[in-house]
Amino acid sequence: MTADATILPFRPRPRKPDKVVSNGVMGMVLVVFVEVMLFAGFISAFVIVKSRALGSVWPPPGQPRLPFERTAFNTAALVLSGVVLFVAHRGYQRDRGKAVGGLLLLATLLGGAFVALQGVEWAALLQEGLTLTSSTYGSLFYTIIGAHALHAIVAICALAWAWGRLRAGRLTKETLSTVALFWYFVVLVWPFLYLQVYL
Amino acid sequence: MRAKALLAALLCAVGLLAVSPDLAYACPVCFDRDDEARLAFLATTGLLTLLPLGMVGGAVMWLRKRSRSGPA
Repeated sequence: MTADATILPFRPRPRKPDKVVSNGVMGMVLVVFVEVMLFAGFISAFVIVKSRALGSVWPPPGQPRLPFERTAFNTAALVLSGVVLFVAHRGYQRDRGKAVGGLLLLATLLGGAFVALQGVEWAALLQEGLTLTSSTYGSLFYTIIGAHALHAIVAICALAWAWGRLRAGRLTKETLSTVALFWYFVVLVWPFLYLQVYL
Repeated sequence: MRAKALLAALLCAVGLLAVSPDLAYACPVCFDRDDEARLAFLATTGLLTLLPLGMVGGAVMWLRKRSRSGPA
């Protein structure tokens, strides 16, 4: 009796394809898509309500005007924060490591300044009589700008967390890219809101 | 046989259109008291329709470009 020993030729396992994008970045891209649609819906609602205003008078009579000029400072702080983060992000991708820590902190502080100035502006508007229930104008203003401020606060916390990890030497490039992507969204959506709501 | 059925269906459709000639406004987009509101409806409908398509198309192109240039 002979044993039939069949020798199979060696076939290496097919290698898993390399990831094109990290899971974190891909997840954040999807989150940003959802958020873009949320703000597009807000802007659409605002445009329609504004177009149907009685006698085409906007803001409605008896409601204060939004401080367009003063908010330009907030806008400048936010845009500058986005630019600083972009420089820090690129530096980190090019292995500059902890050298970009200062820039990351500056971007976070500029973002914090934007939210703080928004808070001051809201306090003034509330004193002038623009509240969530004073008119459709007030409801839309606080809903849209409040939603953006909420996103900004979450993104600032994420930036501060990333800065802490950088200092501890535990920040990966993918993590910074994920956090930065959310901040870029917060920065880039603001000019549309500013020009549509404040002007 | 099939051609006859199609012809009958076509005649029914034409007949229905002939007996109900009024315009049907299905949604507020089709009518409003002024042009500004109608334009706003149309513009926002366009924005909300094209934006997701543009974003998905942009993402696909970006991923394709990255897959050609190498892994993350």
